[in-house]
Amino acid sequence: MSKIIEVHHLCKSFGAVEAVKDVSFYVEEGSLFSFLGTNGAGKSTTISILLTLLKQDEGDVKVSGLTVGREDEAIRKEIGVVFQQSILDPLLTVKENLDYRARLYKMTKEERLAAIDRVATTVDISSIMKRRYGKLSGGQKRRVDIARALLHQPKILLLDEPTTGLDPQNRKQIWNTILQLQRETNMTVFLTTHYIEEAANSNFVVVMKEGEIIAKGTPHHLKSQYSADRLMIIAKNPAQLRSQLQTDKLVFTEEHSTVLIHLKKTTDAIVLLAKYEELIDSFEVQKSSLDDVFIQIHNGKDDMHHDDCYEA
Amino acid sequence: MMTVTKRNILLYFRDKSTLFFSLLAVIILVVLYGTFLGNLISDSLPDFPAKKWLLLSWIFAGILAVTSVTTTLGALGTLVEDRSTGAELDFYASPIKRSALLGGYVVSSIFVGFIMCLLVLLTANAIFFFSGDEMLTFLQVFKVVGVISLSVISSSSMILLLVSFFKTVKAFAAASTVIGTLLGFLAGIYIPIGNLPAYLQTIIKLFPTSHSAALFRQILMEQPMQETFAQAPASAKQEFLKDMGVFYEINGSLTSPTFSVLYLTGIAILFSILAIVLMKRKRT
Repeated sequence: MSKIIEVHHLCKSFGAVEAVKDVSFYVEEGSLFSFLGTNGAGKSTTISILLTLLKQDEGDVKVSGLTVGREDEAIRKEIGVVFQQSILDPLLTVKENLDYRARLYKMTKEERLAAIDRVATTVDISSIMKRRYGKLSGGQKRRVDIARALLHQPKILLLDEPTTGLDPQNRKQIWNTILQLQRETNMTVFLTTHYIEEAANSNFVVVMKEGEIIAKGTPHHLKSQYSADRLMIIAKNPAQLRSQLQTDKLVFTEEHSTVLIHLKKTTDAIVLLAKYEELIDSFEVQKSSLDDVFIQIHNGKDDMHHDDCYEA
Repeated sequence: MMTVTKRNILLYFRDKSTLFFSLLAVIILVVLYGTFLGNLISDSLPDFPAKKWLLLSWIFAGILAVTSVTTTLGALGTLVEDRSTGAELDFYASPIKRSALLGGYVVSSIFVGFIMCLLVLLTANAIFFFSGDEMLTFLQVFKVVGVISLSVISSSSMILLLVSFFKTVKAFAAASTVIGTLLGFLAGIYIPIGNLPAYLQTIIKLFPTSHSAALFRQILMEQPMQETFAQAPASAKQEFLKDMGVFYEINGSLTSPTFSVLYLTGIAILFSILAIVLMKRKRT
């Protein structure tokens, strides 16, 4: 697969604030790529540079083989963007909105009608075409926003926190639409989010914090690298278990009357359980969620866990 | 550019509140004239033939001048709104040149101003017709349309500069209200220039919209003036022209229409350049 977005040593400051510090990454064509980070991590700045809305201070950025800063107009034809906030005209109907935006791509009347028909079917908004955009619900607006981004059949669909502010049901529907689009059209989907569970669907995740990339990889890779499952034991006799663990030189923590041991692999629990079977009243193996991974990456505590994990 | 232009025009006419507020200054003006300003001005002048017709023409000239500013102001409000809602980002991320985008805003505001002024002109003519006065001749209408174009273009360029300072719709709305109110004074429309102290007269003479108003007055009042001053001494006419702001006295001589036209043209060019330079500087 070829690289459709390439970013090399990107830097951007606003006055004294370094929003993006020497960031490099690439996105493979046809993949679903997530840009993860809390607010103020530098996601939006990076996106604005990709969209040719901002000029970078340093670094090379290539989108679909075109260089940002030199071939901006061509790049704009390759990217469809769904902004965080709703940017269409509330007083115009959905159809009028789409029509005016389609004109920006110099389409003929026939092309525009065909394009509007196509995107309306894709995101399932045919029934609300005559309604004013401003009167739509949040989920409907989002659909129309996506439809607008797809008008010119872009190679890359860029979504900036597409589900922020939506209720869970709408969030799920929007997600299904995005996933379906990516599957069916083989379009590259680039999204930013601060919902870790959304990133779990993607092929590749880059995590940003304070303008720097602090982790990258497939969701699976990130999980296995940063997660640590925990074995939680409630002992018949806590003091006895404690001294036994200490003599075996196992690292553990205690919370109330339970003992927690971090595991390298889930299956490592079997060995431990067999070994201390006599002392255990009950137990539980807790799989770490992606949320835990995210928090761990962000807190930079991953090293500690790796040293302290039990490995069979 | 046509896309943005059409979209903005559609937005202006569909947004009833923008439409209303951009005409608010005009409505206030009409109400003021109707209730007491009209009588006040009329009483301050001696009785002469065709007085009502003459004053009505004078009033409509003032309304035209105000309309040419407030409606372009309302239309350019779209630019401020797009900036504050982030809607401009969508245009910036589309394959359209920034100059074309800016051009779209300007052209749409000029178009809106032009249409609204034409409506005022139409109303004026209808009122002349129904009150039994002579309507404007074809040549006069042609001239008025020319002056409308010029004053709308110069207003648009001035407002473009103003707009580049505003980031929120609220601030812009407040400024619009202030401008709409002040406009009537600064262009000698609420109260004729002759009734004002010297320092205000100087401000009025410098204010570009006053020159639009003067040009409108020269054309609209042409016929009634012929009737009014048919038997009057030349000095009385001269005095009236000066007091009512049909012509302005600068350095002892009355301004010619050409001077006003050139002044407006110069303002349009100057402010356009300033606005473009300022917007370019802000971008980087």
